[in-house]
Amino acid sequence: MIVGAAAATLQGAPVVTQDIDLWFKDLNDPGIKEAVQAVGGAWVAPVGLNPPMLAGEGLKLFDIVPTMHGLADFSDEVRQSLVMSLGSARVRVLKLERIIKSKETLKRPKDLLILPALRNALSAIKTKRKRVQSRTD
Amino acid sequence: MRLSNEKMKILCRARGLSQKDLLEQSGVSKTAYFHLLSKRSVLPRSIQALADTLGVKASSFLVEETEEERVRNIAHLTKAIVAHRPSLDRDDVRHTLLLLEEEPIERLRRALIRGRKNNLR
Repeated sequence: MIVGAAAATLQGAPVVTQDIDLWFKDLNDPGIKEAVQAVGGAWVAPVGLNPPMLAGEGLKLFDIVPTMHGLADFSDEVRQSLVMSLGSARVRVLKLERIIKSKETLKRPKDLLILPALRNALSAIKTKRKRVQSRTD
Repeated sequence: MRLSNEKMKILCRARGLSQKDLLEQSGVSKTAYFHLLSKRSVLPRSIQALADTLGVKASSFLVEETEEERVRNIAHLTKAIVAHRPSLDRDDVRHTLLLLEEEPIERLRRALIRGRKNNLR
């Protein structure tokens, strides 16, 4: 599932990001290693407190997030996530409400910096959706 | 190109159909219909299904929106949203509405290009 600022931008939030954070149900899933190898990359196992990492030209944009602070476990969060089409792929994307909740919990300076933009975007998206729906009722 | 809700209503009314009937008969989901109303891009299969159900050409309910109209509509909607929620930042609302006009993958591409260039936000 795509999480973090990349997930927020996919939903329309006007923020920028340097990478695409991925949250997996099970980091030992052999499918991850297979997918990484399919694009010529390498899976770097966790060392001490460092999370696992992805290496290789085709994976430079991706980071692995072992846990999402302030949220429920993966199974609960994925149930209420969005499914989006990115090119030919269909991917799970953490909802903007939940990204905000996680950043509110983390409170790192970079999280606090983008929180107002995320909240403004969420309000704008919801209001636009309501207006479109009311036009069809 | 965007689906015109006003034209759809006229076409439905002339055929004695409610919009609910139209969606049911054409097999187009409400979600897909909202997508067609709010996006400039179109879903060819859904458009064709609606046209077939109404017995008209798709051009009967699609409208071409000029860049000027598009920007004006976004400015109008930004004003309405901020008037309703004065605590919101006008620029954030406007940028969000502009981004919602694009496909998700384009939004992400744009955010990554800027993020890697500036290391901001």
